[in-house]
Amino acid sequence: MSHSKNTTGIGPVRAAMRKITTPFDEMRDWWGRAPGWVRWTVYGLVIVAALLAPSDSVGAFMSPESDWATILFYPIGVFVLLAIGLNVVVGQAGLLDLGFVAFFAIGGYVMAVIGTELGWNFWEIIVVAVLISSLSGIILGAPTLRLRGDYLAIVTLGFGEIVRLVAQNTDAIGGPRGINSIPHPPDMSDIEIIPDLQPFTYGVIDPRPYYYLLVALCVLVIIFARRLEKSRVGRAWAAIREDEDAAEIMGVPTFRFKLLAFAIGAAIGGATGTVFAAKMISIVPNNFPFILSATILAAVVLGGSGNLPGVILGAFLVGWLPERFRGFEDYRVLLFGGVLVLMMIVRPQGLLPSRQRSAEFAEGSGMGGMGAEVATPTAKAEVSSR
Amino acid sequence: MSDVTGGRALLALDQITMRFGGVVAIDGLDLEVRQGEIFALIGPNGAGKTTVFNLVTGVYQPTAGRVAFDGRKINGMKRFSVTKRGIARTFQNIRLFHNMSALENVLVGADAHHRTGFIGAGLGLPWHRREEREGRALARELLDFVGIGHRTEEWAKNLPYGDQRRLEIARALATKPKLLLLDEPAAGMNPAEKRSLQQLIRRICDAGTTVLLIEHDMGLVMEISDRVAVLDFGQKIAEGRPAEVQNNPAVIEAYLGAPADAS
Ligand SMILES: Nc1ncnc2c1ncn2[C@@H]1O[C@H](COP(=O)(O)OP(=O)(O)OP(=O)(O)O)[C@@H](O)[C@H]1O
Ligand SMILES: [Mg+2]
Repeated sequence: MSHSKNTTGIGPVRAAMRKITTPFDEMRDWWGRAPGWVRWTVYGLVIVAALLAPSDSVGAFMSPESDWATILFYPIGVFVLLAIGLNVVVGQAGLLDLGFVAFFAIGGYVMAVIGTELGWNFWEIIVVAVLISSLSGIILGAPTLRLRGDYLAIVTLGFGEIVRLVAQNTDAIGGPRGINSIPHPPDMSDIEIIPDLQPFTYGVIDPRPYYYLLVALCVLVIIFARRLEKSRVGRAWAAIREDEDAAEIMGVPTFRFKLLAFAIGAAIGGATGTVFAAKMISIVPNNFPFILSATILAAVVLGGSGNLPGVILGAFLVGWLPERFRGFEDYRVLLFGGVLVLMMIVRPQGLLPSRQRSAEFAEGSGMGGMGAEVATPTAKAEVSSR
Repeated sequence: MSDVTGGRALLALDQITMRFGGVVAIDGLDLEVRQGEIFALIGPNGAGKTTVFNLVTGVYQPTAGRVAFDGRKINGMKRFSVTKRGIARTFQNIRLFHNMSALENVLVGADAHHRTGFIGAGLGLPWHRREEREGRALARELLDFVGIGHRTEEWAKNLPYGDQRRLEIARALATKPKLLLLDEPAAGMNPAEKRSLQQLIRRICDAGTTVLLIEHDMGLVMEISDRVAVLDFGQKIAEGRPAEVQNNPAVIEAYLGAPADAS
């Protein structure tokens, strides 16, 4: 709405930003028209790049100051998978969730508790963790998803904190000291692909097998999410974002679809938590602070909520940049905040938004970029109170 | 003035009252729409016509009375279930999904009867693919049927006004309704567009869908409808064949009191 009007002061910045981001938009439109074989080639190249990423030569540039493979697992890989999950909730269904870290925590604690107490292996536990976290998503969503935007944001924020505080205050799961000696996943094979790399052997020292596990999960989840997006489920979510009342009258059970988005997002968050805990050996409640929810949300919004490549790019940048500029010490957080604020002023729709979301943004309808449900500009008089 | 078409009752409103605070928008209304007819609901601005649509589609719950569709009570049902049972509508102020293509808009309607859940969709299972294919075929067919088959990929908001109204009709038809509610479909159309709209409504009815129509254009109403009911201040003041209603003194007075522009 008013984004384009008040240009005083930031006009030049906006112009510069447009120069930078126009190629992004052109790329997206090109991608939209690209034939199948081009897409598959690109997918293949991206996967190869992801597999080759944890090498020392790449690391020398990407992360001269800390171990690159470690950073690729956490924060980068974890952020990417979490962002893909949160994107289902915020980007697809248009629901603002400020407590997404809760599901990450639940997945982590399920892994830790069952792994140490019952001795199940990772693969059994991840199934249970996905079920439990999506169930908790449903339990949280059922009473709250009937609320409109801002209330939902507050309730989810509270939920995120409650999960952390419960963990902190429950001695049975270690209280503030958390849980130690969480088992690693069982080795799938001790094959050595290149000297010094056993990608299916999960030990203490080498983070790369865990990183590959995340990459595999990402690929599966992306395929699943993309298919959903293009199906009746994705259409229902898009319709809900555009005009919830009209969607319901056209036969969309809006509440059920919002709940579904919540459950799927939660399941992805839970799966991420399981991998995280299995790698970390020990987890503590402070691994799951509110700021992590905010960071993942920032990644989704910064990248372009609703558009998977954008969201992945956003999560990568949000995970990587602060590590890359460790040299700046405390300033990096300030810098990061500054970049976010600037982005929201000059390009609120994110780096790589979907066409639909950009359009919603331009007209101030839908949820804009943040997922908060704001009133649509069209008169609601015709169909108002329920 | 009864038994013009003689079909059985498809929609029946029984002593419906709707209050908004102090305003009585609908006051003890009885209404019966019969299978296979084109029934017009007319009346001056603010008479309560759109409110009737909102009551029938479950947007409002009546303060008193009963709405029955196909012999079963539907007030109290969820809005999406009402749609599934076979009532679809368009809106007086167009309410398309603006940033979705025409085809996608219609697909949302077609999805009302689709059964695959998220697992089938997420895994791309065969029956889901078949449903998608059939949905797309139906949507294309309907876009052709309403006359905008050449604009399937355009965003709803980029369509000209008249085509948006047609798209709303296609979206509603995609839910395979037994009863189609049209809220001022000719508003803002020029005479040529109105004529082709009239033919479209005729074809919809001929294809077996009963039509309940709100319209201010008296020419269109008189030519197309089998029966007409006139609302004024939430009450039905006349009902019958178009010609009968046209000459009813109470109707003439209601319109003279608050003349409706024939836009
Ligand atoms: N949600 C609501 N809250 C309060 N009053 C309402 C509401 N909906 C309708 N009304 C009132 O009910 C009366 C009937 O309105 P309605 O929209 O049904 O009229 P209408 O016959 O469709 O008029 P028009 O020809 O202008 O579309 C009006 O007085 C209106 O103000
Ligand atoms: Mg009206």
